[in-house]
Amino acid sequence: MMLSRTADHLYWMSRYLERAENLARLLDVSFSLALLPQSKNGARSEISAPLVITEMLEEYNRKHDELTPEKLLDFVALDRSNPASIVSCIRQARENAHAVRGKITAEMWENINATWIEAREYAAKGIDNVGAFFDWVKERSHLFRGVTYGTILRGDAYSFIRLGTFIERADNTARLLDVKAHLLQSDEAASASDYYAWSALLKALSAYEAYLEIYRDAVTARQVTEMLILSPRLPRSLRACLEAICKILAQLEGDNGRLAQRDAAALLAELKFASVDEILDEGLHDYLAECLIDINGLGDRIYQAYLKAA
Amino acid sequence: MKLHIHHETVYRYDAALLHSAQLLRLTPRADRDQQVIDWSLALPAPASASDDAYGNRQHLLVLDTPGDTIRIVAEGTVETRSNVSADQPLPAELFLRPTPLTGCDAALTAFAEGYRTLVTHHGREALLDLMADLLDRMPYLPGQTDATTTAAAAYALGQGVCQDHAHVFIAACRLLGIPARYVSGYLYTEHDGHVASHAWAQAWTGNRWDGFDVSNNCTPDERYVRLALGLDYLEAGPVRGVRRGGGTESLQSLAKVALMDQQ
Amino acid sequence: MHRIEPPAASIYDEMLASDLAVRPHYDEFLRWLNQQSAETLSQRRQEAELLFHRVGITFAVYGDDNDAERLIPFDTIPRILPADEWQRLEAGLRQRVAALNAFLHDIYHDGHILKAGLIPAEQVLANAQYQTAMRGVNLPHGIYSHISGVDVIRHNDGDCYVLEDNLRVPSGVSYMLENRKMMMRLFPELFARHAVAPVEHYPSLLLDTLRHATFADNPTVVVLTPGHYNSAYFEHAFLAQQMGVELVEGRDLFVRNDRVFMRTTAGHKQVDVIYRRVDDNFLDPLAFRSDSSLGVPGLLAAYRAGNVILANAIGTGVADDKSIYPYVPDMVRFYLDEEPLLKNVPTWQCRKPADLSHVLANLDDLVVKEVHGAGGYGMLIGPKASRAEIAEFRCRIIADPANYIAQPTLALSTCPTFVEEGIAPRHIDLRPFVLAGKEVKIVPGGLARVALQRGSLVVNSSQGGGTKDAWVLEA
Repeated sequence: MMLSRTADHLYWMSRYLERAENLARLLDVSFSLALLPQSKNGARSEISAPLVITEMLEEYNRKHDELTPEKLLDFVALDRSNPASIVSCIRQARENAHAVRGKITAEMWENINATWIEAREYAAKGIDNVGAFFDWVKERSHLFRGVTYGTILRGDAYSFIRLGTFIERADNTARLLDVKAHLLQSDEAASASDYYAWSALLKALSAYEAYLEIYRDAVTARQVTEMLILSPRLPRSLRACLEAICKILAQLEGDNGRLAQRDAAALLAELKFASVDEILDEGLHDYLAECLIDINGLGDRIYQAYLKAA
Repeated sequence: MKLHIHHETVYRYDAALLHSAQLLRLTPRADRDQQVIDWSLALPAPASASDDAYGNRQHLLVLDTPGDTIRIVAEGTVETRSNVSADQPLPAELFLRPTPLTGCDAALTAFAEGYRTLVTHHGREALLDLMADLLDRMPYLPGQTDATTTAAAAYALGQGVCQDHAHVFIAACRLLGIPARYVSGYLYTEHDGHVASHAWAQAWTGNRWDGFDVSNNCTPDERYVRLALGLDYLEAGPVRGVRRGGGTESLQSLAKVALMDQQ
Repeated sequence: MHRIEPPAASIYDEMLASDLAVRPHYDEFLRWLNQQSAETLSQRRQEAELLFHRVGITFAVYGDDNDAERLIPFDTIPRILPADEWQRLEAGLRQRVAALNAFLHDIYHDGHILKAGLIPAEQVLANAQYQTAMRGVNLPHGIYSHISGVDVIRHNDGDCYVLEDNLRVPSGVSYMLENRKMMMRLFPELFARHAVAPVEHYPSLLLDTLRHATFADNPTVVVLTPGHYNSAYFEHAFLAQQMGVELVEGRDLFVRNDRVFMRTTAGHKQVDVIYRRVDDNFLDPLAFRSDSSLGVPGLLAAYRAGNVILANAIGTGVADDKSIYPYVPDMVRFYLDEEPLLKNVPTWQCRKPADLSHVLANLDDLVVKEVHGAGGYGMLIGPKASRAEIAEFRCRIIADPANYIAQPTLALSTCPTFVEEGIAPRHIDLRPFVLAGKEVKIVPGGLARVALQRGSLVVNSSQGGGTKDAWVLEA
């Protein structure tokens, strides 16, 4: 049992940190693809992808009149006036942590606070090495997860922290995969650039090695899709996220989570018994769009059941 | 005098109201000079009743999913008597302190100070003069003041409603070292259309509380029914609430006071 | 040997007697100090600063962009009190807090002390801090101030005087605990050489006091904070965590059927005791300030119904008001039939014409304070003020005499302190924390505050004061 407001802060603390990490992963894919030799339009669509899937495009256009990698990087990564930027996500994660300072361990607080202080320095000075910056974001997120895993009491606080992580991760994995969904919509044979695109996606999700181990095969769209949605073993797949969510919900005290548990179980059942061919027949984009709606709905159920304060 | 009262208050909101908590002082006081024969409150949800430190009956109404309208009806019969001295459970000094609504500025201070000598020598009689003078300076005129208007602001405006009159009168009394308090209630009049929901002041004149109805330039008698008393409107007004959501609030309040058969 | 700047002749120094002999209870400390090299000491001070900075980051006030931390400077030379002296002080504190609680109970009930004519009724009943809403409320054990932070100073006559009784939401106890933790970390060997009475159990004593503040069985206790932007938020979070209770904000609570509940992930849970760190005026927007979003609508009704306990009670401020302060010795005699053990600073009440003329004639020598002021603001220190400041204050006093009291300028005792130039005497005070319940509990010592500016008498942290660890030596 804990205060709903406390649970809410813990949940959003980890959601925002996870979001920052996934934004870094997303930018990483786009930047590595944009550097490949290809048509100007292709590069442009790669570059705008992060804005499209995070729904920041409108806001970007309001502030900038042209789309360049530098401006995009600044807007998505560092712009403190953009509430959805990486630095803003880190700030919000840290604000949420600060509000429940007494409910997390000293190491967790010091870690997330240090992350914020460094993020602020990045925002002030700018990024000179893009790759190093993305690595830094991921590393800070890993560190925080590690500190959390290694120090916090197993109880409701830990549960809500993990709940935030997995809801956000499921959402982000679906969105990341969705960026590439258009590649499947053309009937043309897979081109070399498609191959690069799917590989880059795997690398961005730290799933390249896992892919090789599972499939021992060249990278194909079908198998990547299958792994990222349906694999129970890949920690960033939709199914793995939903399994984690179901387990956590089952552990929470009280009986107000019935609807959240039901929706999570239904979504997990769907993922457990789906096949990649069905998904591709339905159309990957449409399938993912539905998943996103379901994940969103689940988030709302969780909010209503546990997090709603006043 | 046996009076029947029907008081309906309706709040309407132009957006969804999320949460509302209201403190209702809508039950006449059980004082020696007024007897509550029957009384009922019709509320959208059960409310818990208690007495505050002044002996006012209050109900706490909490609504979690209140919709866009709140309707409150208070109804019942009260028998009033005059020439009965009221209870004195509280020390009069409690009513000496100014509140944010009853503070004096320079102009109001000057007005009150003009009566200091008179009040010292003539007590209640001087306060009657002050009351009449006050009504001259700020005639009854609705529309320019609201529930948050301070005594000083209303005095500066030169007009106001019964609440403002009571506040200004109280502010002046306290400045002169006379304990004074705010009373909310109902007033019976023979003509329809007159405001039945009312407010006036009481001042401690040495050994008893005397009423002063500035708006009508008179002293309250058995036509007056007391709901609540306190330092100011915030402490003694009929309804005090806080809410979340709801957008703009519009309030409709209608009180009818009728004379019952005397047999 | 370290050079210690000698104290001024007219001032009592806690470590050095006037002939420069060391007071016996500092013998061992000074011996130790002289064994340390200047480098070691300076290193330790830097270490302390670093460690506090790390913790400090967590209790600064955060705006979004300016993360300017207000670190309260910490001095590594402790204020040491010998056992017998503490015993006398402790007895005096117990007596004083008992009288203040009896006073609060009395003025919210029959007002015997007013009827007896010891204090003018108007001064109490018309005081802005008097809460009429408390009339007719009966509290368990008659306790109003469960937690009191009494500011004590030593004058050059060697006696302790109470400067202020803080009965509303006294703060600073977390510094007392952090200071001790820091000293033990920096100088473990010092604690091997001294039998220093422990303070670490304060949170458990506090929890015990709060649990016994109600007659409810197995009560649920919470700490109510204005939120994480409040400057004392660190202390609120710290105490809640140390006691193992929830740290709540107003929006976490609601009132239903005259009971208070908190919203939790497992549903609604009734709350029995609220250790509130929110001022009276913000507790309930239906009863006090309507614009308060920090409080709980209906809380007062639940409190008056006896279904929840607030610590401290509403309306304690009238007893620590500076206009009431002069009467505390009378309260001790009236309620306890004892002579006061702790001295009060002589106080002139400007509302009295005779006192007023004395004050106006002696502004150069007096300290003048606003009746409701706190934190060292709104005061005039005559001997340190300029002509213009005195003239300005004179006008303010004449315009509203009742708003001021005046006291002689006290020669607060000094304690050697690390400063730029080395080790030099600086003025100090002490705020012990008194926990009142079925029994009274006081952890030995308290928060020692030090005015870091040479000659300054203002120890408030908001005005450049620092803190020290306070040691009570066990007999």
